[in-house]
Amino acid sequence: MHSQAGAPVSRRRFLALSAGGAVGGAAALSGCALQVSSGVSGSGENVTVMVNSGDILPEQVKQAQEDLGIKIALVKFDITKLIAMLTSGNPPDLVRGVGAVDAPFYAARDVAENLDPYFARSSVLKSDDLDPVNDLWRFDGRTQGKGPRYGMAKDFSQDSMFWYDTAAFDKGGVGYPPETEPVTYEEWLDNAKRLVQRKNGQTTVFGGSFNGLTRSTLLATMTASAGGSLFSDDFSRVDFTTPEARKALTWYIDYCRTKVGPSLIQPDPNGWDGPTYQAGRLAMSNAGYWMGGMIYPDKKLAPVSRLAPAPVFAGGPRISACQGGTGLWMPRRAKNKDAAWRVFEWFFGEEPARARASGGWGIPTLKSLRSLMPDQEDYQKRVLKVQNNELKHFSVVSFTPYTRADAIDALFNQIAPAAMNGQLSVDTLAGRLNSAINEQMKRGKEQVG
Amino acid sequence: MTVDQISSVADRPGAAASAGRAQAAGRPRTSMTARRHRAFYMFTSPWIIGFLLLTITPMAYALWLSFTTFDGISPHWRYVGLGNYRELLNDPVTWDALGRAGLFAVTSVPLSIIAGLALAVLINRPVKARGLFRTLLYLPAVVPPVGAGLAFKSLFDPNSGAANGVLTFFGFDAVGWLGDPYARYVLLMTVLWTAGNVMIISLAGLQDVPRELHEAARIDGASAWRTFRSITVPLLSPVLLFQTVTGMIASVQTIMPLLLAPLGDTSGITTVPQSNYLYMMHVFAQYFALGRYGYASALLWVLFVLILIATGLIFKFTSGVVFYNVDPEAKK
Repeated sequence: MHSQAGAPVSRRRFLALSAGGAVGGAAALSGCALQVSSGVSGSGENVTVMVNSGDILPEQVKQAQEDLGIKIALVKFDITKLIAMLTSGNPPDLVRGVGAVDAPFYAARDVAENLDPYFARSSVLKSDDLDPVNDLWRFDGRTQGKGPRYGMAKDFSQDSMFWYDTAAFDKGGVGYPPETEPVTYEEWLDNAKRLVQRKNGQTTVFGGSFNGLTRSTLLATMTASAGGSLFSDDFSRVDFTTPEARKALTWYIDYCRTKVGPSLIQPDPNGWDGPTYQAGRLAMSNAGYWMGGMIYPDKKLAPVSRLAPAPVFAGGPRISACQGGTGLWMPRRAKNKDAAWRVFEWFFGEEPARARASGGWGIPTLKSLRSLMPDQEDYQKRVLKVQNNELKHFSVVSFTPYTRADAIDALFNQIAPAAMNGQLSVDTLAGRLNSAINEQMKRGKEQVG
Repeated sequence: MTVDQISSVADRPGAAASAGRAQAAGRPRTSMTARRHRAFYMFTSPWIIGFLLLTITPMAYALWLSFTTFDGISPHWRYVGLGNYRELLNDPVTWDALGRAGLFAVTSVPLSIIAGLALAVLINRPVKARGLFRTLLYLPAVVPPVGAGLAFKSLFDPNSGAANGVLTFFGFDAVGWLGDPYARYVLLMTVLWTAGNVMIISLAGLQDVPRELHEAARIDGASAWRTFRSITVPLLSPVLLFQTVTGMIASVQTIMPLLLAPLGDTSGITTVPQSNYLYMMHVFAQYFALGRYGYASALLWVLFVLILIATGLIFKFTSGVVFYNVDPEAKK
C-alpha cells in the first residue's frame, strides 16, 4: 500500500520514516563534526587540541591565532570522548597524553602518528636539543625509549624525588634528609613515622606521601630501584612475586598499613598533595620538581621547603625515573597534520614552553630552555642544584604497551586495600595481582595483534 | 471520541460540503482525519526522533558491542558471540556487585519512601510557616548529586570531617566513615538526604485524598493511625507503587558511590570501598578503567533485562494491593 498525498501516514510508516530521519540526522551530525578539524594547509586553518584546562591558556590560543594564523579549538581531555572521536574517525589533531604510560599503548595500537619525519624537518624542535625524557615518547614496537617518536613531553619531573617541610622536621626533631645523597626507602618511612601527628584517632599532620603518579608507574619504578623489572622481557606479563617486585610491593603496603600518609585506605580529601602540603598538614611530598610551581609563589612556604633525591633500596641501583612526561601526541587519522605540527612546535618550543620553563612547573624538555628555570631566590638556587644533580640518575623505566596504566591501577585499587588493612599477606596479594593484571594484559596483547 | 468517530465526522454531509468548498478554492483536499494525524505525528516526532537517536540507537550499538572484544581503540577486535555473557555468568565480582546493588535497592527504596512519606504527612498538617518547611525539606533534592557527594565526602572525611569532629568532641575515637564497613551507611544517608523528591510526590498524593473520608472515619471513632493505615495508604498506593518502581530503577543505577570515592580519575572507580562497589561501579570500571567495552555492554544489557523482570514482578505482586481510585462508570 502506498501513501497518497493528503492521506494519513500509518504509524508503522511514520516509525520507519523516523528511523530513517534518525540515521540521516546522525549522519548529518557526524558530517558537522567532521568539519571541525578539516581544512587545507595554510593560513587561517583550524586545529583541534584535546588538553586539560590550564595546559593551554585562552590568551595563548588568541596569541597563536595572531602569530601562527591558526585557530586552536580546545577540547577538554576526556578519555571517553577521545575514544568516541577516534572510533568515529574524527580525532582531535593533537591529544594530551602521559608519555610514560600512553606512548607505547597508542603506538602499539597504530593510532598515533610517527613524528620522526616532522622532527627531521623542524627548525624549532631539533633532535640534539631534546631532553632524554622525550624518549618516553619513543616506541619501537616492543620497547619504550627506542624507535620512532610518537609525541613529546611538555615538561617533566623525576617523580620519586620528594619535597619536605623543614618546619615539620624541626617540630618533630627529625634530621633533614641529605640533598646530595638519597635516603633509603626504609629511612624515608622511618622519618614519616616520626613526623606523623595524630589525635583521637585522627591524623592531623601526615608524615609523608608516597604514591607516585600512578600506582603502576610507582611500583614499576620502585621495582627497578630494587634492581629488577615488574614486567617480563616482552612486556606481556607482570610478576609481583620476584624478589625485587615483592620488595617494592612490601614497602608500599607497609607505607599504607602504617597510615603515615595518604593512601587508598586513608585518602587525602584534597585529592593531591599540593593543598595539604601548603596547609602544613604534610611533612614530605613525593611530588618531584614540578610542585615548585605551586611552592614558589607562596612566600611563607618556599623558604622552608626543600627538594631531596629519589630514595633508593639499600644495595639497589640509584634510579630516578620520570613517571609522567605529559605532553601531546598526534592521532594517525588527524585531519590537519601540517597545521597541527606547527601548533606542536609552538607549544613545545616557543612562547608556551618558555612560560612553563620560567614558572617552575617542571623541567623544560628542551635543553636550550633550561636556563629559564627559576633561580632568583636562594631557595630556588638550592632546589635547582639538587634537581640538576639528580638528572644524572635519570632513566626510562619502560611500560607495557598491552594495557593502560589506569587499568592496572583499577585492578590494584580493587585488590590491594585488603592487604593494606592487614587482611591479606603480601604474598597472597602478589599472586592475586599477577592473576588479575596478567588476564587484562593477555586481552590487551590480543587487541594489539 | 475514537478515530473511527472522527472519520465518521469527516463523512458527514457538512464535511463533504466544506471539502468541496476547499477543492473549489484550489486547495488540496485534506480531511480532518489526515490533519489530526499529521498534527499528532508533528507533535510527537521530536520525542520519537530523540528516542530513536538517543535510546534505541545506543542500545542497539551496545548490544552489538556486547558480542565483541572491542576496547574502544584497537582495530584488532573480534566477535565472541555470547562469550561475554558466558563470562559474566562465571564472574564472582559481577555477582557480588549485583548482590550488593540488590541489597542496596531493597534497603534504600523502602527507607526513602518511608522517610519521604513521613515528611509529607508532617508538612501536610496545618502548621505555621508550612511553605518554609516544604521548601527547606525539598531543598536538598535540588542540590546536584556531584555537589551533594562532595559535601558528604567532606562531612565524613576521617581526619577533617565534621562527623568525626563531633565524635572526638564527646571523647569518642574517630571513625573511618568513607571506608569499609561504614561507607555503606554514608551511602544510605546520601539517599535519605534526597528524600525530598519522594516527599513532594507523596504530598501531592496526600492532597488528593478526599477530606470527607478522613472526617467520616473520625466520626466513626477511628484513630489517626487507623485512618492513615486504612484510608491514606490505600489511596496513596498507586503513588507508592510509582515510587517503588522508579526508586528501584534509580537505585540499581546509582553513581553516588563514585562521588564518595577517594579518587576521581578513571582508575578511581575501583577506589570505591567494597561495600559500595555496586553493579554500576563494576560497569563503569569495565568500560572506562579496563577498556572492556564488549563485556561492559553485556553487563548493561543484563541489567536492563533484570530491571524489566523486577518491574514486572513488582507489578504482579502488588496488583492486588494497589487501589486505583477511578470512576467505574468512566470505563463504560
